[in-house]
Amino acid sequence: MDGMFSQLSVLGSSLVLIFGLILLWRRGVTAYIAAFRWQSIVLALVTAIVAYFAADHELYWVAGALLLLKGVVIPGLLKRMERRFPAERELDPYVNTATSLVVAGLLVLFGYAITRPLVALSQLPTRAGMPLAMGLVLVSLFVVISRKKALTQVVGFLMLENGLALLAILGTYGIPLIVELGVFLDVLMGFLVMQIFIYQIHETFESIDVEQLNHLRH
Amino acid sequence: MRAYVLQVTQATLALLLAPGLVGLIRWMKARLQNRRGAPMWQPYAELRKLFQKEVIVSSNASWVFRAAPFLVFSSTVAVTLLVPILAVPLPFDRVGDLLVVVYLLLLGTFFLALAGLDVGSPFGGMGASREMTVAALAEPAIALAIFALALSAGSTNLGQIVARTLAHPGTALSPGHLLAFGALFVVTLAETGRLPIDNPATHLELTMIHEAMVLEYSGRYLALIEWAAATKLLIFFSLLGNLFIPWGVAVALTPATVAIAVFSLLAKFIVLAGTVAVLETRIAKLRLFRVPELLSVSFLLGLLAVTSSFLLR
Amino acid sequence: MTPEHLLLAVVFSYGTGALAAIVVGGAVGRGLVAGCALLAALSGVMLGVICLGAEHAPTVSAPFLPLTSFSLRIDGLSAFFLILIGIVGAAVSVYGFGYSAAYEGRYSLRLLGAMLNILLLSLSVQVMADNALTFLVAWEAMSLSAYLMVLTEHDRPGTLRAAHWYIAITHASFAALVGMFLLLSAGDLTTSFSAMRSALLTPGVRNAAFVLALLGFGAKAGIVPLHVWLPMAHPVAPSHVSALMSGVVIKMGIYGLVRVTIDLLVGGPSWWGGLVLGIGTVSALLGVLYALMEHDLKRLLAFHSVENIGIIFIGLGAGLLFQSYGLMTLATLSVVGGLYHTLNHACFKGLLFLGAGSVLHATGTRNMEELGGLVKRMPRTAFFFLVGACAISALPPLNGFASEWLVFQALLGGSAIPQAEVALIMPIAVAMLALTSGLAAACFVKAFGITFLAIPRTPVAERAHESPVSMQAGMLTLAVACVALGLAPFVIVPLLESSLAGLNGFTATTVVFTPALPLQVPGTFGQMSAPLLAVGLAVLLTLVPLALRILGADQRLRVGDTWGCGRIGQTPRMQYTATAFAEPLRRIFAELYRPTRDLSIDFHPASKYFVQSIEYRSEIHPWFERVLYGGLVLVIRTTARWVRRLQGGSLHLYLLYMALAFLVLLTVARWWR
Repeated sequence: MDGMFSQLSVLGSSLVLIFGLILLWRRGVTAYIAAFRWQSIVLALVTAIVAYFAADHELYWVAGALLLLKGVVIPGLLKRMERRFPAERELDPYVNTATSLVVAGLLVLFGYAITRPLVALSQLPTRAGMPLAMGLVLVSLFVVISRKKALTQVVGFLMLENGLALLAILGTYGIPLIVELGVFLDVLMGFLVMQIFIYQIHETFESIDVEQLNHLRH
Repeated sequence: MRAYVLQVTQATLALLLAPGLVGLIRWMKARLQNRRGAPMWQPYAELRKLFQKEVIVSSNASWVFRAAPFLVFSSTVAVTLLVPILAVPLPFDRVGDLLVVVYLLLLGTFFLALAGLDVGSPFGGMGASREMTVAALAEPAIALAIFALALSAGSTNLGQIVARTLAHPGTALSPGHLLAFGALFVVTLAETGRLPIDNPATHLELTMIHEAMVLEYSGRYLALIEWAAATKLLIFFSLLGNLFIPWGVAVALTPATVAIAVFSLLAKFIVLAGTVAVLETRIAKLRLFRVPELLSVSFLLGLLAVTSSFLLR
Repeated sequence: MTPEHLLLAVVFSYGTGALAAIVVGGAVGRGLVAGCALLAALSGVMLGVICLGAEHAPTVSAPFLPLTSFSLRIDGLSAFFLILIGIVGAAVSVYGFGYSAAYEGRYSLRLLGAMLNILLLSLSVQVMADNALTFLVAWEAMSLSAYLMVLTEHDRPGTLRAAHWYIAITHASFAALVGMFLLLSAGDLTTSFSAMRSALLTPGVRNAAFVLALLGFGAKAGIVPLHVWLPMAHPVAPSHVSALMSGVVIKMGIYGLVRVTIDLLVGGPSWWGGLVLGIGTVSALLGVLYALMEHDLKRLLAFHSVENIGIIFIGLGAGLLFQSYGLMTLATLSVVGGLYHTLNHACFKGLLFLGAGSVLHATGTRNMEELGGLVKRMPRTAFFFLVGACAISALPPLNGFASEWLVFQALLGGSAIPQAEVALIMPIAVAMLALTSGLAAACFVKAFGITFLAIPRTPVAERAHESPVSMQAGMLTLAVACVALGLAPFVIVPLLESSLAGLNGFTATTVVFTPALPLQVPGTFGQMSAPLLAVGLAVLLTLVPLALRILGADQRLRVGDTWGCGRIGQTPRMQYTATAFAEPLRRIFAELYRPTRDLSIDFHPASKYFVQSIEYRSEIHPWFERVLYGGLVLVIRTTARWVRRLQGGSLHLYLLYMALAFLVLLTVARWWR
């Protein structure tokens, strides 16, 4: 049983990480939104699996909230934004695609090296997936740094949040429900603020290319 | 003694089934595209026609052009003798492992590329250049997939890998195996020239990779090369099927187990052919300079497979 | 035939050859040079073979130097390298007889012949050296004789510059080696190696010695970034000298590294192995990437030497790494793989350079873009070059594949390393090695295809002729060696393992490889049987045409024109060029290459819409020279200019300096406690 739990958690974490890598491979924002949606669904599934094996019923609620908020609401809002700015594709990032993927691989290895003490200390069967969650955090950070379009950076930030949530679930079987709900509220608020910003940027520059902000200084 | 007979039968079966596999994929694609399509045994008819035609060799070409089809075909047949198609362990297992298989296939590609350059036409050169680029960039992905498999099985010996997975069924669902399957699947598409890397049905020379290299071949030479390409596809499908989902592979050499092995092989082929057909219908061909990105994704999947195998040890 | 007799034969033959070169001229002189060198090389091979199986290593010492004697000791490692030197030396001497005929009257054949023998002699002495002074003297003799031979074609552009870079970097490496020996012997260069083995050194001294060894031997071997002299010097030397340099001289770096780190220093901390492994990976990848972009045949081969030295370093680095963790079986596997690749590379790189030399001899140009169609005009040379190309691309069943297979197996065993962060280097090394071998195959399709296949691109290629018999004989020897080494790994590998057994770091290991037909890696990690594979391929190659005939396939064959989309006639310009072949890879790796682009368009004077001519220039400069060495040279120049101010030219200034120095000396002597 334990072996099955361990395998499923690592499988789930790998899938979550792979959806994150889509941000570095594809160029269209539609693909990013789909990747985020599927990533959140898999994350909710992983939470449900942990809830089942650890017999922790609070986590079922967390999984449901994840599914609702990050699987339905936020992707819906993202799609609405994307309809406002169609055909904005990530054509010229600061780091090109193949190099980005290689850097992502190195970041995953780095994440593995960093979380070694955590994995060694933990007794939980889910500990094997923690390096992958850390890898997702680092890769999302890299996406935010190396991509130019504001929408990509927003999705990157949301995936960063997913990575942290995964780390929490795998490392400590989640955080108390009330804290989790607070975090969800923060994420929603943050997202709405970013939405306003993006509309403003588009108003001013007729594009959501964040590099244009350079023109603001004199 | 029985084992040797089975080994030769296995290779013959592979050679006989290969054109049918290509025909199956074409038929499935046709049906998905709402066409009737040619019957599944069309490639056999094509091969027979080609064997009865005269060979025309360019005046620019040398012995390399004439020897290449035989070299490609022989190396591919040699690989069918090494790969577990029906049963493990087999006596020729000692001759080569997974690394030998990869490099034997590279031998075929090498000489085909030389033949492409030998005729002195720009199409041949273009095909050779692109094919070697794709082959070179697919190598790290294959190497890491092999590493991941070898790590969990403790050996690069093909029979050993299959036996190990049969003994521990849980490893088939391990992330290392699944990710390695993903990596190897992308590599299969690259090495056998299927969409989205190369379109096997295109007529435009500027979009060809494999077809452009063999543009100048005719008659029995072309038949050998086409047959070798189909066999390569079958080999990769056998690897994908039997290394990762080894149930059905005969361990003891009795008629019953061998019959089951044949049926399970056909079932795996049908599933894989269906996947490839659906993929080819859904996805458009990638620009040549987007192919390295796809192969980087495959490389990354291989790296994740190896890391996962390390993690779960 | 005792070892002492053979050793005498070696020294005597090389000496006679050198003398004969200076004294006798013309074809007889060339024949004597070649003959003596051949005899000596073969004696060297026999000496190596005898000593490989011997229980104790024969030693010889002769009082030659004032401070100490020349001391030679032939253990397993020395014997292996003697065989390597002998095989390549024999082929090169035979080839050189025919090749140097073209130099009659234009360049000094005396110097060439004499230096060839001296180079081979110093190489042989160096691998047998048993104390520091002998080693250093032989090293310096090797460097100088190679330098003089590089300068043979001194009136060609680029030769002087290449020779300057070569001698500068070689002497810098010599300085590093002197420093290293001083550290190892605590200041006394006459110490024998056996004394150095048993010396107790602090870890700091050992680390410093390792770094100096890496710098000194690495510069000779040609690792990145100390490789810049290789692509300059190897192309401009006469082709048989290039073959010798690429095949043997750079291997002296490998010999030195193995001798010092494994034998004298008896292994070290894991960062030694990791560093060597990292350097090897980078060298392999960068070497092949720059080779892909070359269209000068010999420069391409020189960059491939960098790549293969990288692969050897990968094997050695993995070996050192495993040794530091006590995994002796895997360590033996790795080092054996590295040494096997050393021998294989010597053979196939020598073969390739000799082939390139034949092409140069026949057409007068090294530029691939001007060649083509040589396979019909020089069929035997083309065949030998093809064997070399298949060997270097690691295609089974030739020798390149056998050694790369071993190195792969060694790296795959890396999961046994207890520290997971270190163990994760192995998959990256595996991936990079696979990428390197794939790119090497692509590069040699280009090299062989553009140079030899299709139709000649210029009149010089049309007028090419087959090489003389001596040159063909040289190439044949190495081709046979390549095939033999590829078919017999199950014999070679146990021999290599026994050659390692004498080394300090590898004693007391159980026998890893038993001579059996399938070469089996211990721990049942993998098996491979090259001869069975070759037999299988040969059987299939004969069966298939036979089967076609029996089954009634149409056997007619007609010669016609290449299909060209309906055009009439074909010119050589319609073929693919070398630059075009490498274009996809140039684009993919453009961030690394950073090619410069120059586009100038001439418009018709009457209207801007009619183009008269377009000139497009694109160059790739390896940035090592510009950034690393340019910076270094700048620093040296600035410092030199600053120091030059001390030399005012005035007599009084110099008197002042002397007086000051005298005063300082008195002060120090009086008040120093």
